[in-house]
Amino acid sequence: MDENKEFRPEAEVEILESGPLRISGNFILKDLKRGDESAPGEVFLCRCGKSNNKPFCDDSHKNK
Amino acid sequence: MERDSSVSDERKYTNGEITVYWKPSACVHASYCYRELIEVFDPGRRPWVDMNAASTDRIIEVVNMCPTEALTWKWNDDQKNNSISPDQFNHVSFRRPELLHEQTKPVIVSPVSVKVMTDGPIVIKGNFTFINNGVSKEVRESIISICRCGSSSHLPFCDGQHRKTGFTG
Repeated sequence: MDENKEFRPEAEVEILESGPLRISGNFILKDLKRGDESAPGEVFLCRCGKSNNKPFCDDSHKNK
Repeated sequence: MERDSSVSDERKYTNGEITVYWKPSACVHASYCYRELIEVFDPGRRPWVDMNAASTDRIIEVVNMCPTEALTWKWNDDQKNNSISPDQFNHVSFRRPELLHEQTKPVIVSPVSVKVMTDGPIVIKGNFTFINNGVSKEVRESIISICRCGSSSHLPFCDGQHRKTGFTG
């Protein structure tokens, strides 16, 4: 059905179980609250809401 | 070609000059609409859209911020829909061409866009491999919204819960 077969994933987005979101590859990260924009290659973003270094993971999810 | 599924959850609002289409199933709770223009887009009000609460230009500006096809717009005067500038991102001719009865390719972003929303989710847009529970899936020209507050009932995806819990970050 699909005429456009040229498809290449630009990045990898991985949900780490009970942990952060890992993104790697060709992507632009924009942080609207802090006004930052970068192309870091790989990041680990907080998913638990407890990091003291948001939006990045600082392993706070391991502290109960 | 008509898409039946697009009609079932369709709602539209007009101020006589433009029509704003609301497609709830496409919403990823990026929250631009009510953060920018609560007078018009108030999720706590019914109906939640008040087209008379701001100027047409301002409503168009905010609808164009929606990262999905949940909010789109078009001129009621059909003539004016024939020459739409590409920076009018959420005009129906780019997002929901079926509403104009003509096919137009949506704009594809490359590299992948990852936006950390203010006090909200991570909105990821483009062509990427999505890995969840060890299952890898190629996601194409698509948008996903990942919870950052930890309170969603549909983890890992955002369900808008951050607004109720008052998440900041």
